[in-house]
Amino acid sequence: MLKRRDFLKALGLGGVGTGLGFMLGESIKTPATNLIPYVVPPEDIVPGVANWYSSLCTQCNAGCGIIVRVLEGRAKKIEGNPHHPVNQGRLCAMGQAGLQALYNPDRIKTPLIRKGSRQSEEFRAITWEEALSVLAENLMKLKIASNTEKLFLLSSVIRGHMGHLFETFMQNFGSPNYIQYDLFQHKELIFANKVSMGINILPHYDIGNTNLLLSFGADFLNTWLSPVNHSLGYGHMRQGRHGSRGRLVQIEPRLSLSGANADEWIPVRPGTEGILALGLAYTIIEEGYYKGQDINEWNKILSPYKPEIISELTNTDNERIRTLAREFASARPGLAIAGENAASYTDGVNHIIAVNILNHLADNIGKTGGVISNPEAPIKKTQSLKDIDALLRNARAGEVETLITYNTNPVFTLPHNSKIQEALENIPFVVSLSCFMDETTAHADLILPTHTSLEDWGDDISEPATGYNTATIMQPAVSPLYDSRNAGDILLSTAKRLGNRLQKNMPWDNFRDFFIESWKTIYEKQRHTYAGEPVFEDFWNKVLTQGGWWDQEKRTHQSIHFIKDNVKRFISSSPSLFQGNEDEFPFYLILYAHSGYYDGRHANLPWLQEMPDPMTSVVWGTWIEINPQTAGKMGIREGDLLLVESPYGKLHVPAYLYPGIRPDTVSIPIGQGHKTYGRYAGNRGSNPLDLLPGISRHETGTIPLNSTRVKITKSSEKGNLVKMEGITKEFDRQIVQTIPPYERRQN
Amino acid sequence: MSRFLDKLFARFNIYREPGYYGKYDYKWTIVIDLDKCDGCEACVIACHAENNLPIVGEEECSKNRAFNWIRIERYVEGEYPDVRVKFIPILCQQCGKARCEVGCPTYATYHNQDGLNVQVYNRCIGTFTCATYCPYDVRHFNWFSYKWEAPLEQQLNPDVTVREKGVMEKCTFCIQRIRAGKDHAKDEGREVTDGDIQPACVQTCPTGAMTFGDLNDPESRVSQLAKSERRYRLFEDLNTDPSVIYLKRVMKQT
Amino acid sequence: MDTNISYKEINDDVIDAMTRTGPLYYVVLAIVTILTLLLFFLPWIYQIKVGQGVTGLNNPSYWGVYLVNFVFWVGVAHAGTLISAMLYITRTQWRRSVHRSAETMTFFALIIAVSFIMVHMGRVWNFYWVLPYPNQRTIWTNFISPLMFDVFAIGTYFLSSLIFLYFGLIPDIAAIRHRSAGWRRRLYVMLSLGWRGTDREWYIRDKAYMLFSVLIMPLVVSVHSIVSWDFALGIVPGLHKTVFAPYFVTGALYSGFAGVVLLISILRRVQQSSAKYITERHYDRIGITLLALSLLWSYLTILEIVMGLTSHSSFELEHLRYKLLNPGFAGLTALMIFSNTILPLSLSIRKVRVSITCQFIISIFILTGMWLERFLIFGTSLPRKFLPYAWHDYHPGWVEIAITAGSFFLFILMFMIFMKIFPVISITEVKEEWTDS
Repeated sequence: MLKRRDFLKALGLGGVGTGLGFMLGESIKTPATNLIPYVVPPEDIVPGVANWYSSLCTQCNAGCGIIVRVLEGRAKKIEGNPHHPVNQGRLCAMGQAGLQALYNPDRIKTPLIRKGSRQSEEFRAITWEEALSVLAENLMKLKIASNTEKLFLLSSVIRGHMGHLFETFMQNFGSPNYIQYDLFQHKELIFANKVSMGINILPHYDIGNTNLLLSFGADFLNTWLSPVNHSLGYGHMRQGRHGSRGRLVQIEPRLSLSGANADEWIPVRPGTEGILALGLAYTIIEEGYYKGQDINEWNKILSPYKPEIISELTNTDNERIRTLAREFASARPGLAIAGENAASYTDGVNHIIAVNILNHLADNIGKTGGVISNPEAPIKKTQSLKDIDALLRNARAGEVETLITYNTNPVFTLPHNSKIQEALENIPFVVSLSCFMDETTAHADLILPTHTSLEDWGDDISEPATGYNTATIMQPAVSPLYDSRNAGDILLSTAKRLGNRLQKNMPWDNFRDFFIESWKTIYEKQRHTYAGEPVFEDFWNKVLTQGGWWDQEKRTHQSIHFIKDNVKRFISSSPSLFQGNEDEFPFYLILYAHSGYYDGRHANLPWLQEMPDPMTSVVWGTWIEINPQTAGKMGIREGDLLLVESPYGKLHVPAYLYPGIRPDTVSIPIGQGHKTYGRYAGNRGSNPLDLLPGISRHETGTIPLNSTRVKITKSSEKGNLVKMEGITKEFDRQIVQTIPPYERRQN
Repeated sequence: MSRFLDKLFARFNIYREPGYYGKYDYKWTIVIDLDKCDGCEACVIACHAENNLPIVGEEECSKNRAFNWIRIERYVEGEYPDVRVKFIPILCQQCGKARCEVGCPTYATYHNQDGLNVQVYNRCIGTFTCATYCPYDVRHFNWFSYKWEAPLEQQLNPDVTVREKGVMEKCTFCIQRIRAGKDHAKDEGREVTDGDIQPACVQTCPTGAMTFGDLNDPESRVSQLAKSERRYRLFEDLNTDPSVIYLKRVMKQT
Repeated sequence: MDTNISYKEINDDVIDAMTRTGPLYYVVLAIVTILTLLLFFLPWIYQIKVGQGVTGLNNPSYWGVYLVNFVFWVGVAHAGTLISAMLYITRTQWRRSVHRSAETMTFFALIIAVSFIMVHMGRVWNFYWVLPYPNQRTIWTNFISPLMFDVFAIGTYFLSSLIFLYFGLIPDIAAIRHRSAGWRRRLYVMLSLGWRGTDREWYIRDKAYMLFSVLIMPLVVSVHSIVSWDFALGIVPGLHKTVFAPYFVTGALYSGFAGVVLLISILRRVQQSSAKYITERHYDRIGITLLALSLLWSYLTILEIVMGLTSHSSFELEHLRYKLLNPGFAGLTALMIFSNTILPLSLSIRKVRVSITCQFIISIFILTGMWLERFLIFGTSLPRKFLPYAWHDYHPGWVEIAITAGSFFLFILMFMIFMKIFPVISITEVKEEWTDS
């Protein structure tokens, strides 16, 4: 029987206990956060309904158009812009990963000024006011001492109006030293095309309509030139045309991703692609496929390239060369392209010109399914008046007082044998306009954070376009996350502080004003094509909505005249030069752009680090590709840590047994090996550029990537090779089923 | 008597149809043309962006725990120089007779009226039966509660749940886009038109190798492509009735 | 069997065994408790907190050591039921002394097996969703799923074993309740349900016991068949075999009997009084059973391998190749064959059979071999499924190894506590045995 006292005790205890328990429960709950971040949302935001902004993808140099899905002021997804002529609604892996550049945890949030020595990489946060005055002070000193030509401005390759602004700034400041530098600039291709075909702007390689595509070292589906456009063309070439299927023959020493999709792979000796192309060209002449008047002259020029003569040198069967040449000439149209691998030899220009000759003699130039010229750009192309070599030379000679860099990372993308670090040491004041603490920025004295492309204004002229003028607009999809500024804004405010000529000739308050004004000029010039937009504002709205301006009506097929006299100087029957003698350094070294990291710029995006490499499935690291037969002879197993040495440097990399590479060649992807650059990229993998000599080509001022030989030693350690694949054999399980090709295949 | 039995069985026969519906509302299908697929993995990254897939890091990748709802499998035959490389995108095949649906004790995976194999995250208790039964190895498990380093979580898609540890997940044919598309069509009082709805992978594929649509609609692109002489399905003789149709790659036979 | 032991002596022996505890017992109990906590519970709590990622599981090896342990412990449980129920029906005499410990072994093994189901789950706090109870979401469980068969089978088995054990205990507890004091007395009085030992009560009890034995007997075959169908219903090569049901049942009885041997050998050493009741005769009989089961198991294993080799299926052949030829697994397979087939052949010699040491060692090998058999089934089938690109090996992590080891200590812990509270030799049956003889 429960006594009253006991009952009251129980009641009290129970009550207090419940209360305590309730409070305990409440206290361990996380405080509720707001579902909707705004108390009074801006007009264009409806929670749960997306806004789509058209913009420009800046992950590589192709210049595809994108649309960005923005929900409540946050960018959620990037898709290809369906209206954009280059990518037509599609987008590659790098493009999709652009979101992680915007929301990267390692972004620089405020202006920084160096605290200790350059090596210490210690910085102190300062305000924009302070930062801009430091910059203006330094430039003012140069002006007063009449040393304006000692200012160097180094940016990535910019084809749009930002480049114009930089040019204008440098001109008005009084310095001719505006340099554009990226690892992959296609300068060899542009030069070769200018020399052989007299065109200033890259043509459209019409892969979609061709019948036989000969790719000389071009990874056109993955990283070369305009991968999404090429992929679209490739899909169309294969199964988009009822009744006909184009063929792809890949000619390269290392099987790239594009090569993996080829109908045939010709593993040519490194450095002899051009010679092989000329062998094909000679066959076309000899067997009467070329119908031009100057056939005899061509015969004389190309006689050293008879297939029987070059067969041994190129390591290709001469009968195959002849049959391939016949197929190519009868393809009508065929298309030969020379890609990054061919361009990356010391005499890369020669190889490209050889391929251009092949196209010319097979009558592919100016034809659908061949090489189609693009009209001149609607805006003047920014001329990079100097090349990166000029910076290195002048810096070493002490002729550089101030260097401003924007969006480029030469400390990583130049081989350390080019002595870029020493050059930087010789420059008293280095300013970096950058979003991330990459290697170059870590060596700077003043860091001014810029917007990522999703927060910024800008534009780009697509090169190559698809046969008609194409300009893409970059507009902010989200407000800037941090205290960053547009690079043009920074220069304009500096111009104002420097006064006089600069202030007078650059009166715009910010880049956006300059930008819109420049577009007014384009509008005026092209007025006749825009009957539907009587006022600039209508035109501008249309351009912003669709993401750019393209004029499909105006396809001026600029005729292309082949300049035979020029090309004679540039072809050579000797293979490309590789540094290092064959006995000591038995392997050719081929470097290539990684499909995720490109030239190393995307190593800080975790999606791309975790994306399995398409040809090896390796993630989060670097590897060296070695032929399994060679590896067997040397006792190398997969994952073994190898010491790779060239005459200029050495690296430790784990081995991957790669059947798609010549036994005398090894290959390392570019992109890892960052010393700084954030938590995802830092201290991971190796940078193979450190194996290269620091010499640049005199025609283009660029560094040849395939220019050295290496030797391999097996170390006793096991390297760290993380790959996602199990076994790549099918064991007759009919997983990827195939069907044999035949003529006139129906879908 | 037999009529009585027929009527009795008729009541239970509906349970033998997958999804328990005599007719699907839609039968979503993806056709992948292996002659166009070049293995570029744009679809892999697009899927990561759309579906809030976490990054697991190098160590977890070495244990094969990465989240690739769609992955490109690469099969290599031959020795240098006759090397043949073949790519095939593998994603959840949304089998009509799914093994995983049989195995799950709590109905966390079941067949819905669109012919999709649906994963219900909040019902999953993590018995791993579905993943073990799956012949295509397309199911992924949340081994931990993964964190996104700020501010990467700002990019997360609000239309897709973020899964906690202990839950199985897999490709859903971007069911959030399918739902949005169907709702949109309903608002406008029409059926979904072909091409309205595209999963992230299909939308981004640069070569146009993937096509998505309703196999029940005879006019749709997938229905046309499904009639191709090159069509096949992966491991067809396992009788899983997958909703992904592959078109054979055109390649010289050895 | 020494028939000069009086009933009183039996009672005394049993009560002394329970109440007289030396310090050694407490020391061992403390050590075992600490080890259980350290190896079983702490890693499990860590795993619940952090996630299943602390194991060595991966894609596609989603089932690993935990499921192996689950099957192993359910297997071990079967022998107990065989001895208590099936051999009761056949009126086998030698079962009398050992059946209580065997039945206890069943019960505790089932507890551990169920705990392994919970250990392997990703979201164990929602474990109860596999139980079909009416709920506000109006959703039932998926009865087609073999895991649901498991829920019913093991649930039934668990309850039946418990009740069966209890039935047997009632007269024993009644026999000792008056001789005990304190908490023991209270416990025994409550549990013996007022048993007075009248003729009518004995009659009802015998009838009920026989009925229960008959009901429980099919469970010996069905439960492990159902457990095997967890795996056989997937189409994974290596798991998808019709031979699994008899194979697993045989394996279960085999490992269970070996477990019984271990248990009674340890019991004889630890509880001196038990040595009187468990004699050479028991070992002899159990030895013959083990031999018979070993031959049966070997036959089924050979059958499985031959069926795989003649299957013309690339999937099956790969699985077999991986199991028999892969450097990692070939050794384990050889050890398994040795432990389960070759070594037990020595049991055909009577001298080996009646030697307690020999049987002890052979049983340890058999248990290892049977554990390896299950490990080989999972470890070689899941890493080698249909798509070669997705193949990935399985290596158990430290958490899995710790929990495996911890489970043995948990078993020992539970048994040690049980043997101090309840009689481990069935007093009733032993008395009956002598009455009969």
